Amino acid sequence: MSKVFSLALGILAAIGGFVDIGDLVFNTAAGATFGYQLMWVIPIGVVGIIVYSEMSGRVAAVSGKAVFDAVRERTGFTVGLSALLASEVVNLLTLAAEIGGVAIALQLLSGLPYRLLLVLAVAGLAVVIWTIKLDWIERLFGYGGLCLVVFAVAAVKLEPDWGKVGNGFIPHIAQNNTLLYLYFVIGLLGAAMTPYEVYFYSSGGIEDRWSAKDIGLNRANAFVGYGLGGFLSLALMIVGGAVFLRHGINPEHLGTTALGAEEPLGKIGLLLALVGILFAVGGASIDTVFSGAYNVAQFFGWEWGRYRNPSGAPRFALSWLVLFVLALAIVMTGVDPVMLTEYAVIFSAVALPLTYIPILLVANDPEYMGRFTNGRLANTLGVVYLVVIMIIATTAIPLMILTNVGQN
Amino acid sequence: MAKIHLGRNLLDHQLLDVNGRRCGNVDDLAIEGGPGETAEVTAILVGPGYWPQRSGWVGRLAGRLGGSKRIRVPWAEVKRVRSGVELRKEAPDYGLGSGDDRLRPLIEKIPGADR
Repeated sequence: MSKVFSLALGILAAIGGFVDIGDLVFNTAAGATFGYQLMWVIPIGVVGIIVYSEMSGRVAAVSGKAVFDAVRERTGFTVGLSALLASEVVNLLTLAAEIGGVAIALQLLSGLPYRLLLVLAVAGLAVVIWTIKLDWIERLFGYGGLCLVVFAVAAVKLEPDWGKVGNGFIPHIAQNNTLLYLYFVIGLLGAAMTPYEVYFYSSGGIEDRWSAKDIGLNRANAFVGYGLGGFLSLALMIVGGAVFLRHGINPEHLGTTALGAEEPLGKIGLLLALVGILFAVGGASIDTVFSGAYNVAQFFGWEWGRYRNPSGAPRFALSWLVLFVLALAIVMTGVDPVMLTEYAVIFSAVALPLTYIPILLVANDPEYMGRFTNGRLANTLGVVYLVVIMIIATTAIPLMILTNVGQN
Repeated sequence: MAKIHLGRNLLDHQLLDVNGRRCGNVDDLAIEGGPGETAEVTAILVGPGYWPQRSGWVGRLAGRLGGSKRIRVPWAEVKRVRSGVELRKEAPDYGLGSGDDRLRPLIEKIPGADR
């Protein structure tokens, strides 16, 4: 396969894999509540995930260290273990929400009972992971997730007031309902910079045996893949603003999001949206469950990786199987996946600093990174985003309480 | 061996056996040498049994849950320290990686585990 072709395939998969249930929920709800006023938050979040994915990918390629190798080496046993516990809790909540999302999409497509579909979804995902190679899994779900481009078509077809959309890119604070507005700012940033994406990205680089010569591939994947993926977030918010705000609908159900594509495009729009959601959220489930297993294995020094078959890394395989079972148990209680998503995103904002600080430290260590040590640009952006993340981490939970989880 | 910083380049790093198999982390170090003498690392200490001495109640709890096993790898067995700490022999020769080895027969009962 030619290099350009394989690069293009990787980027397409990255676009399709960008959106997860957190993005679907927060972007649509933000549009439905505040119209286009929050557009400016999306590029900030997207640049943040690009900066730290690129950095963690570069660290993985050059030093062979994944995120939780760096966390334990740089923060030591006690702090590292606390970071591990926090990230596993957030990961589990996220995983449960994504699995719920898969079952909702399947339910809307098939009409079968929700709980049955939850079990089928988890069993299906486990079989996929057990039998298919990781790069094919990424392609399968990435290309399926590309169906979400239907939201970009819908956004244009809805003929939004482009002047208002443009004004939304100018950062500002809403005059009324300020707390709720701020809650959405935090939620949108948290959804864009979910920590599992960075865990998965860096460990995936090691799975793909990246070395220093893959630095270019790493940059292309992070910049172009996540950059274009960000357009899907913009499209979701425009659809939210153009369809739901106009009708005064609060999209509390994941299926409502799909209806946003039906209004301008009819049944085919709805179908593409549901298939896109199914693959995007299914792929995110796999990324999340792997992230959880990667983190545990890296912290304790176990063998890990899907490139070693399950019998080559038994504790790693057992870890993701256990995480699937726990997540299934959570959603089987009937807890609303959209609610679960909001909690997962807000709590992930609290766990972010523990993930990003060690990456920044290792990326600045010339002993490991040699000539690939962070330059001035990466460090400036890295530190700026660390400040942003600290602000998010300290305000996330107070805002969640003050706004009653975005309900008022 | 080139100069290495014990805290930053050794402690909490990945152990790799002669085949590159990941087989634990450097949980602690045995260092010998009295006052006035040159301190020397004599062994790498691995296993949940060493976690309590690394941290307070968190380590004690984690160590108890982990089974309190202690493995001592003599420093002479360290071939090289790069990104990970590379050992001269295979993991089982030191008693390392036994958690994976014990679980393997079970995992292999599920069809497709070797794919």
